[in-house]
Formats: sequence, structure tokens, C-alpha cells
Amino acid sequence: MRFRLLEWWRRWRETLRHRDARETEEELLFHLEMAELDAARRGEDVREARLRAGGVTHAAEAVRDQGSIRWLSDFLRDSRHGIRLLARSPLFTAAAIVSLTLGIGANTAIFSLIDTVILRTMPVQEPGRLVQFAGGRVLSYPLFRQFGQELHCFTGMFAQSSLGRRDIVFDEEPEAVKAEVVSGNYYSVIGVSAFAGRTFDPEMDRNPTPVAVISHAFWMRRFGLNPAAIGRTFRWNGRVFTIIGVTPPEFHGMTAGTLPEITLPLSMAGEILEDPAWLTSDSMSWLSVMGRLRPGYTIERAQTEVATIYSRVIRAQAEHSSGNEFNRQQILAQRMPLEASGNGFDSLRSRFAEPLRLLMGIVALILLIACANLANLLLGRATMRRREIAVRLAIGAGRGRILRQLLAEGMLLAIAAGGLGVLLAWWLSNALVVMMSNGGERIGLNLRPDVRILAFASAISAAACLLFSLAPAIQATRQGLQPALSEARLGARWHWGRGLIAAQVAISVLLVIAAGLFGRTLLGLYAIETGFHREDVTLISVKTDRAGVQGSTLRGQILESLRSMPGVASASFENAALSYKGSLYGTQVEGYTYEPNEDIHVQVNYIAEDYFGTLRTPVILGREFNDRDTATKAKVVVVNEAFARRYFQGRSPLGKWIEFKGPKRMEIVGMVKDIRPRSLREEIPAIVYVDAVQFNRPQSGVYIVRGTGIAGIVDSALKRVDRHLLATDVRTLDENLSRSILRERMLGTLAGLFGALSLILVSVGVYGVMAFQVARRQKEIGVRMALGARPLQVTGMVLAETAVPVGIGVALGLGGALGITRLAEKMLYGVAPTDPVTFAGASIILFFLGLLAAYVPSRRATRLSPVETLRCE
Amino acid sequence: MPNEQKASVLQGTLDLMVLQALASVGPMHGYAIGARIEQRSGGAIELNMGTLYPGLMRLEQRGFIRAQWDRTETNRRARYYSITAAGRSQLQTEKAEWARMTAIMQAMLEGDAG
Repeated sequence: MRFRLLEWWRRWRETLRHRDARETEEELLFHLEMAELDAARRGEDVREARLRAGGVTHAAEAVRDQGSIRWLSDFLRDSRHGIRLLARSPLFTAAAIVSLTLGIGANTAIFSLIDTVILRTMPVQEPGRLVQFAGGRVLSYPLFRQFGQELHCFTGMFAQSSLGRRDIVFDEEPEAVKAEVVSGNYYSVIGVSAFAGRTFDPEMDRNPTPVAVISHAFWMRRFGLNPAAIGRTFRWNGRVFTIIGVTPPEFHGMTAGTLPEITLPLSMAGEILEDPAWLTSDSMSWLSVMGRLRPGYTIERAQTEVATIYSRVIRAQAEHSSGNEFNRQQILAQRMPLEASGNGFDSLRSRFAEPLRLLMGIVALILLIACANLANLLLGRATMRRREIAVRLAIGAGRGRILRQLLAEGMLLAIAAGGLGVLLAWWLSNALVVMMSNGGERIGLNLRPDVRILAFASAISAAACLLFSLAPAIQATRQGLQPALSEARLGARWHWGRGLIAAQVAISVLLVIAAGLFGRTLLGLYAIETGFHREDVTLISVKTDRAGVQGSTLRGQILESLRSMPGVASASFENAALSYKGSLYGTQVEGYTYEPNEDIHVQVNYIAEDYFGTLRTPVILGREFNDRDTATKAKVVVVNEAFARRYFQGRSPLGKWIEFKGPKRMEIVGMVKDIRPRSLREEIPAIVYVDAVQFNRPQSGVYIVRGTGIAGIVDSALKRVDRHLLATDVRTLDENLSRSILRERMLGTLAGLFGALSLILVSVGVYGVMAFQVARRQKEIGVRMALGARPLQVTGMVLAETAVPVGIGVALGLGGALGITRLAEKMLYGVAPTDPVTFAGASIILFFLGLLAAYVPSRRATRLSPVETLRCE
Repeated sequence: MPNEQKASVLQGTLDLMVLQALASVGPMHGYAIGARIEQRSGGAIELNMGTLYPGLMRLEQRGFIRAQWDRTETNRRARYYSITAAGRSQLQTEKAEWARMTAIMQAMLEGDAG
């Protein structure tokens, strides 16, 4: 066996090196010479001896066959032949490779995103046993602790919260890192162990320890994988933290794409966030919680246990808050449903899974069109080479041999396009990640091309190669069986060409309709009324931790400084709605009874004076806050229309009271128009606005400035207040909102792009088929024109012939679209999936484009003089 | 076609004959190997080039023999083949197998005759 393997290995080597042909010949000639000499010496017939020794050519052939692998050396020879042929028609080659590259590249790019976002599961142990609270419910720290102590259904239960981008200081300069806090048992519960150093332990929950775990990516980026990074310290709000470990490279955090760079213990949150309330208040719900089911427990059984404890918690809280008789029964009926969480707290997946699948379908269709074109081109070439092929078949070349040779040419194209396609895909998928990253910072997706991606690219290249080169190859070699010259076969080709036209047009109609629908969705979203004037409104995030003054005093100074700058019309401050999702407070409302499973949380936004004025949001009823609403006065709130719709069925909320799980009732004194703060698509949430001065909160938030040229004056305005102030993010509301319709932008842009691409490919396809068709009928056209047909009549005849397959294609495409677009209904906005304008538009575009592509060759035919045409036959 | 029958019989035993020739005589070029086999078989086996050289190539690829360009006594360039250690041990194995096989065949044929 060993020797057999050795033989095969040497055969491969021999094939690839392909030496010896001359040496073998020399050896064989020597043999002959010796045989002759021998015979002469013995006095025998020299010719007889030579005959006995056999022919040199035959022997050399036999040696070559033994020495190499037949099909491989044939393939190499075919490839060399193919390369020469392709090099001889560079235009054809370039066209073929470019269109195929686009198809393969687009497919591979979308696949690599799908692979990363959807297919790869979390690198944690038994993700199927992890459960979370359904609907993205977040818990307060006390509730998390209580669940952790009393629930028996979980072997472990951890909490996690992302802190977004924060500044830390390693040496002198602050640097922004993506940070999150997790409870001490996080790593042990999910089953991820340290790549280097160690991770947190449950002890840290009782014992706040200033340590940090960094991600592998951060380790690489910041420390160049230097092991000395473990033990390094950094400062956060003046507190010194020590790095104790690195997570494995394949671990992306619980959410694909969020990839926290630095993870800190949850028990440090009070200090990190400069407010101990994060860890003590039971009205601040901010923690995503997950548990690992104890063996033997089902999700339903765990559910029962959670419900028992939760109802006790609620009852205790309800009784604890004195004077809180209102809606007690309803609060007690609140539920904490569980759901499986194998995919993590995964917003990325849920947001992009559908669009990516849809795009995958679109690019697959593009690839089909490209293959059809290539098939057509190759068929044209095979037809041109029919004489060569016929001769070779006649002198006894095997049909399989010729088939293989034609396939080799296709395979060369596929290999070239596949290689280029992978490069294109790498670029394209990175561009898409930047797009998906919301224009903000890059989503930390690991997109390095791996074996799966390369396997995918090779597979589609091979499939494409078979698709576009097999059919023409079979067609071309079949001619040997038909002795009659090519008229019948050309007819067959016309048949096949018409089929191609119809199929391509049908697919393209589908893609153009998709482009139209997503384009209209995007336009519709841009036209939505946002409830405020968003031109010239700038959001500014400010890093304040090193400033001398803090709190509302600092806020007042910053606002004053901003307002005094040239170009600033007005300025205000808020903590939630425009920038990120603020705190959700469990809220009770006068006269409102919650349904048993209804969410009792309402979004609360702390705002400074002149907020509505700056956004130009109209106050519809009552008043906004004014100077008399001080900390000592009765607390009042302003609500939005959505709040009134939800709690008062649209009746006036003025004079009614609300309360947040606390003793103080607050009167509603005003109602403002709904604004769409972040997202153009999401439901407008019920919002309660409270006065930041009256509540003396919060610490963090965003400054809102109306005016022009704001980006240029922010720094000097801040420096005037305190030189330690630093603007960390400056962006206009327009940008903010564009980010919110990112999915639609992505779909709209890419669908448009791919739709246009399909139009180009289809034009090329129709042109190719019709040019051939016209060329083969040149004689007929010449005769007709000689007999007096006008050019217009000839053109009309060609166009009429084209119109049939194009029309069939359009009809097929429309039919397909009717069935398919319905599936994308959820991703559309303000346009029906069977929008007649889009459907009609796509049909018209393709019909006329098809005719236009046929018009060009038909004109050329009529321009030839009849005499010339007839002579050339 | 007697020639082809002869060749197919040869196919199985050619390796053994070449190895045996090289083991007993030492390095030889292809023609000498063929001549030696023809001579030892009393002229019963004539190898044409189309049989001999692919066989040599196969043995070389399996590592049983080694080929090297050298000069003949008359100072002609020729490819010389020599047996390798692996070739020797293969020869022993094959020989033993051949002897066993012949004994079996002998016994069988004689038994049937009697």
C-alpha cells in the first residue's frame, strides 16, 4: 500500500513537472540502437530486430501514461489551449470574467455576512440551556439579586449591561473603548474561560473589585497580544482598574457584533456610573439577565418558579411603597415570561437576518443572469468553432474528450472569476459592515475569510461553471451526429437563445420590482413627519468627568456658553429620547388599569429648559416647564400624544397624575406633539418628560443645539467653561435619523444597485442573442432588401421577433413577483407589495430595454449593402 | 492473439524478473535488462520497449529501483537502473510468494492428473 501511495505521489509530481519526454525518447532510441548493434553482431536481420523492439512513439506514450495521470495531464493541456484561446479574444474574456466576478463576489459577500450574523452560534457551552426574560425585559439590580438567591431552576444566573463607548486612561491621553458590566458569575455560567489570565468570579459580586477583562481583539489592537497587558492598569473616573484576563478570540459577547472591548464587574457599576442608585434602586431597570436551566428543568417549570417569586417581590414592593393603593391588583398581575436565548440578546441578528436572506436571494438571481450570459457567449464561440470540432470528431476524437476541453475553458473562467470574486466579496462585505454599523462605530464582526467562505465561493464557482459551460458544450458536440450542415442546428440555437432572453428578462423584472419597492419604501420614510424641525439641530455628547464643577451647575454653564456662541439660535439638554433609549420606569397612571401581561414601563426623558423650543416641537395642550417649577415645588410632568393615546384614549391628560413606583404623585401639566426621536420606523413610544432642574438629575445626557456651523464652535464653547471638557460625539439630527433607517437604506441601495446590474446584464444578453440571430440571417435580409424591403421593415421584423421572448419574460417575471414580493411585506413601508406603479414601471423598462438591445444589431444588418451581403456567402 | 496473452502473463511477473535481474547482475541499462531476461528465459520471453519501459517507470515510482544517467563502456550516455533496499526486500517477499504459488499449482495439477 505504501508503495502504491508513493507511485501515485510521483505520478502527480511527474504530471505537474512534465519532464522526461526528451529523456525517455533518448533512452528508447538508445535501446533501438543497441538492439540493432546486437542483431548486426549476431548476424541477424537488423530490421527484424527493430520491429521486435517496437515503436518509439508507442513506447513513449506508454511511458508517459505510466508516468503521469492521464486526465490531469489532459486537463493541463486543455487549460493551456484554453488560455491561448481566451487570450486571443480579450474582450470576450474580460466581459465574461467581469460579469461572473460580480455574481460570485456579491454572493460570497452576502454569504459571509449571513454566516457571521446568522449561522455561527455563540461560542458558549450548551447555548440551548440558556434562557432570558422575554421581550428584552430588563431588571433592576435588587431584583436580579433576589432572583439569583431564591430561584432554584437555574444553576446560575447572570446580569449584563452594555455601557457603550467610554473613556479610559492608560497613560495620559483618554481613549474611548466599548465597555460593559457583567455580574461575577457571567463567564462561569455561559461557560467561557479565559484565553489568558483569568476572568471574574462570583465572589466579586459581594466584594467590589476594580478589575477588568479585555477582549482578544482589544488585546491585539491595543497591546499587540503582549502577555504583559495582564496586570496593566487604567483609570476610569479616577478609579484604578487592573486587567486580569483576556477572553477567547471567537467570543463576541452575548450579542453578535457588539464585542465589548473592556468588561468590568457589575458590582463596580455604582462607581463607574457615578451613581450608587444603579445598584440600590429597584425602580432603575437596566440589566439584561440570563440563566442556565438546571438539568431536569424545562423552561415551563422554571417559568412557574419565576412567577411565584416575582409575585412575592411585587407584593413586597407594593406594600413597601406607602400610600400606593392604586392599581395594586394590576401590578400584582405583572408577569416575567421566559424565553430561550441561544442567540444571545441579539439585536443584530433579529434586525438583519431577514434583509440578508432577501439579499442572498437577489444576488443568487444576479448570478443566474450572469451564467445565462456566459452560456450564451460560450455557445456562440462553440458555434464558431464548429468546423474545428467537426473535424476533430471526424478523425476520431472522443466526444467526452472534446466536452472536457470545452469545460476546461469554462472552468478557467470560473477559477479566475472565483478568485477575483473572493477579493471583491472581502471588500464588499466590509463595506456592508460599515453600512450596518449605522454610520457610527464599526460593528465588531469577525469577517476574516475562513474555510467556509472559501468553500462557498468555490462551490458557487463550480456550479456556475457547470451551468454556463456544460449546455453549450453538449450542444456543440452533438453536431457530429448530424451530418447535415448547420441550418437545423442554428434553429436550435435560436430556440435556446429565445429561452435565455425570456429567463433573463423574467429574473430582471423581479429584481427591478424589488429595487422599486425598497426604493419607494426609503422615499416614504424620508417623507415621514418627524414632529420637529430636524434641519440644523446638532446633538453633542460631552465628557465631563474631569471638570471642576459638576451636576446641574456645570450643565447650566455649558448651556449658557453654547447659547452665547455665534450661529446658535437656541440650546437645551436631554438624557434619553434623541440619543439612546433612556430609562424605562414602571409607571402608574390615574384611572388606568393594566392588562395582566401589559408592560408597565414608560420611557422617561429628563430635559432642560427650552427643549421643545429648540426642537420646535409644538405644545398642544397646557404648558411646558418654566422657572417656577423648582426643586421645592410640586413635581410636574409633560407627556406626549402617544402617552395620552395609550392611557387616556386620546382624551386630555391635563390635571391627571402619574407616579413612578414611588410615593410622589406628579401632575400632568402639558402635552406635546409626538416626535420620532431616533427611528423613523419604530412605533412612537409613550414618553414622560420631566424637568432636569426640578429633579436635579441626571448626570449624563446630550446637549441639543439649533443653529448653523455648530461642529466648528463646540470645542471653543466647552473650553470656555472648563478646559477639561471634551466633546465625544457631535452629529446632526439628520444623521441620527438616517442611521435609524439603516436597514431600509441598505436594502434600498443594494436592491437598486443589483437591479441596475441585472439591467446591464440583460441588455448584454439580449444583444448577444439578437446579434447572432441577425448575423445568421444576413443572407435572407440581403435578399429581402434586394427585393425592395425598406430598412424600417427589416428592423421591425427583428424587433417583432425579439418582442415575443421579451414579452414572455416580462409576463413570467410579473407572475413570479406577485407571488414573491408578499414575503417581503414586513420590510416595506408605505407601499404595497404589489404596487401597480412599480410593477408597471419594471415591465415597461425591461420591455423597451430588450427592444433597444435588439435594435442595435438590426440596424447594423440593414446598413450593409445587399450586394455585399449576398456576395459574402 | 498469442502476443497479448503473453504480455498479460508477463505483466504480473515482469516486476519480479526485472528485480531479479538487477539483484543478480547489478546496475544495467534498459536494453541490457531486456536482453538478460530474454537470455535467462532461453529466448521464450521477448520484451518490446512498450512493455519494458513503462514497467521500469512503475518500479521506479514505487521506489524499488533507481535510475541514473551514466556512460557505457563505449562512452555512450545511457540510463542505468539499480535495485534499492526496498526493491530487495520486495524481491524476497515476491519470490517466496511465487514459490508458494508454484508449489500449490504443482500439487493441484498433479493431484488432478493422478
